[in-house]
Amino acid sequence: MMIKKIIDEIKSLSVGYYILAVIAAAGMSVAAYRLYAGLGATTNLSKAFPWGIWISFDLSTVAFSGGAFTLAALVYVFHLHDLHPAVRPTVLAGLIGYSSVLLILFMDLGRWDRFYHFLIYPNLNSALFEVSWCIMLYSTILVYELSPALLENSRWSGLIKVVEKWTIPMVIAGVTLSTLHQSSLGTLFVVMSPRVHPLWYSMLLPVFFLISSLAAGLAMVVGGATLSYWIFKRTLPENIVAELGWFIPWILGVYLVLKLGELEITDELHLLFTSGVYSALFITELIIGVVIPIVLFSIKRLRHSRVASLVGALFVLGGVVLNRFNTSWFTIKPVAGQTYAPSWMEVAILIGVAATAVLAYSLIAHYFPLFEETVRVKRQSKVRRELAHTGD
Amino acid sequence: MSETTSNENDYGFLIDASRCIDCRACLVACSVQNETPMETTRIWIKETGVTGQFPDLERYSAPYHCMHCEDPSCLSACTVGALQKGENGIVTYDQDRCIGCRYCMYACPFQVPNYEWKQQLPLIVKCDMCISRLGEGESEPACAATCPTDAIIFGRKSEMLAEAHRRIEENPGKYIDHVYGEHENGGTATFYVSPAPFEDLGFPSAGEMSPAYSNRLVTHGTPTVAGAVAVGLSSIYLTIKHHEEAMEALKNGSTHEADNAADEETQVAAQEAA
Ligand code: SF4
Ligand code: SF4
Ligand code: SF4
Repeated sequence: MMIKKIIDEIKSLSVGYYILAVIAAAGMSVAAYRLYAGLGATTNLSKAFPWGIWISFDLSTVAFSGGAFTLAALVYVFHLHDLHPAVRPTVLAGLIGYSSVLLILFMDLGRWDRFYHFLIYPNLNSALFEVSWCIMLYSTILVYELSPALLENSRWSGLIKVVEKWTIPMVIAGVTLSTLHQSSLGTLFVVMSPRVHPLWYSMLLPVFFLISSLAAGLAMVVGGATLSYWIFKRTLPENIVAELGWFIPWILGVYLVLKLGELEITDELHLLFTSGVYSALFITELIIGVVIPIVLFSIKRLRHSRVASLVGALFVLGGVVLNRFNTSWFTIKPVAGQTYAPSWMEVAILIGVAATAVLAYSLIAHYFPLFEETVRVKRQSKVRRELAHTGD
Repeated sequence: MSETTSNENDYGFLIDASRCIDCRACLVACSVQNETPMETTRIWIKETGVTGQFPDLERYSAPYHCMHCEDPSCLSACTVGALQKGENGIVTYDQDRCIGCRYCMYACPFQVPNYEWKQQLPLIVKCDMCISRLGEGESEPACAATCPTDAIIFGRKSEMLAEAHRRIEENPGKYIDHVYGEHENGGTATFYVSPAPFEDLGFPSAGEMSPAYSNRLVTHGTPTVAGAVAVGLSSIYLTIKHHEEAMEALKNGSTHEADNAADEETQVAAQEAA
């Protein structure tokens, strides 16, 4: 009976789910092959480039998932209760983002059979050790923050009261952990300094990574509001989105000043014009991810426009992706002329994980009360209001 | 400044590029001693390629392996502490701990750690001064013992360094005036002398301070930052909450008064009616 019910339920899902499931399954088979065959047989990683597109993906995804901690801080710590409706969708996005990162990190470990070693063999000097712990703990906290949505219509809904009692301490722990690992991802490159291009290398890398993750996090919420308006027909009130957008120029402004100020202080400002393709990458990154969004989000009319705020958010996110890829891949100094480009299997696994992520998000959004407090987008409501008026 | 300072018992190498004849006996010796296949060895040859005008052609080479840094970047990076500084300054690798994150490969400014790319469950491959061989009572590692021209010699680190400087001083014009490894990456236990510039040999130019130091400055600040963030957030939360409650109380207080006033009014009205 139960099985038949499940089959019926699956049959009732739209075709998009099936497409995603097929892509996800294909990606997962490649992933299984990677685990079996080893890194040399499946990737283009080499002694000169021991890290590749997977690490760049991890860095970008963690920055995107910064929306969850930024929003939690604004709502629970700074008491901006108006933003509360966005919490569940954003926390879910964060949780799914971190889960993808954990999956890809697992793929990246040569000795994936020993992944748990970071729990029992600490190296307190290692940024990667710190990042691993923070990501693990923070993912648990995200599950906690999401649990009311999962419990709400279930037999265990009584537990919600218990969960909510501890929300504030959990949120504070979560924001603290996020501050740590968002910045520690920048610290990763401090000990690698001989390989990092001077335009990107700085002792302030942890600060740069943290600030840009704040901007990326807000951009995720702002852009997500427009996307869910189109896809799930639920969204945030427009004035709230505009309110969030208002923060972006300030954050990015601080980022820009620090970035250029650091170059000036270390006497590297001339590299902006003399490093050929690296200068171009650096300037592109700042124009796309910083200058354009500062302009867009400074204009009140654009902050209130759904399309314009999505475009602005995409610029911020594009800039952050380019920054993470630049830092961890594009500008890494080659050794003996060797370069790196990913193999098809590295890319296939990434696409598979991304499809799994979208599938998981859509399914949870389909079955659980995620958007309860958000505004339902309904053309009829306008019609009905008009009808009501004429009825008068 | 470095966490691990060198002591008198530290071992070291002296490698002389003017003596290396590129016979690669050291590669074979290392491979046999440590049971590593030749394609993933712990030691390589770096060379200048043929330079100069015929008939004065020149070509220099030198073996290249872990420098055994005083403040090793790899050690600071390793997620699980698989790389450690052992007795006698040897930077050791614990293959039972390693999770294969390959961070050490990126962190090492000399690109020393090698990887068993072809294995299903690969490990790092890195020189450990033949620590097991030394433990068996041998006086030197396989590479140094095998080298037919004594291009690699092994001994106390301080003696190796002194010998490096002595060779440069006593043979004016023979070597360039630079002992590679003395200051690179904050100082190492492997010293090179060479007639050709080290860039020409393909040696990386490492800074005089180990990035492990900057790394520690940041990572050791972490608990402080964590504490500050947690305390900061909690106090912001409590301050705003207190403020909100105060506002709430104020509002409630005024509505109470209004209620009372209304009650009085109704009482008055009731009395009047009576
Ligand atoms: S040379 Fe590289 S691998 Fe060897 S101790 Fe120094 S940092 Fe570590
Ligand atoms: S690959 Fe192994 S030795 Fe190297 S940093 Fe990772 S865990 Fe440590
Ligand atoms: S000291 Fe031993 S492990 Fe190191 S390169 Fe020489 S032979 Fe190989």
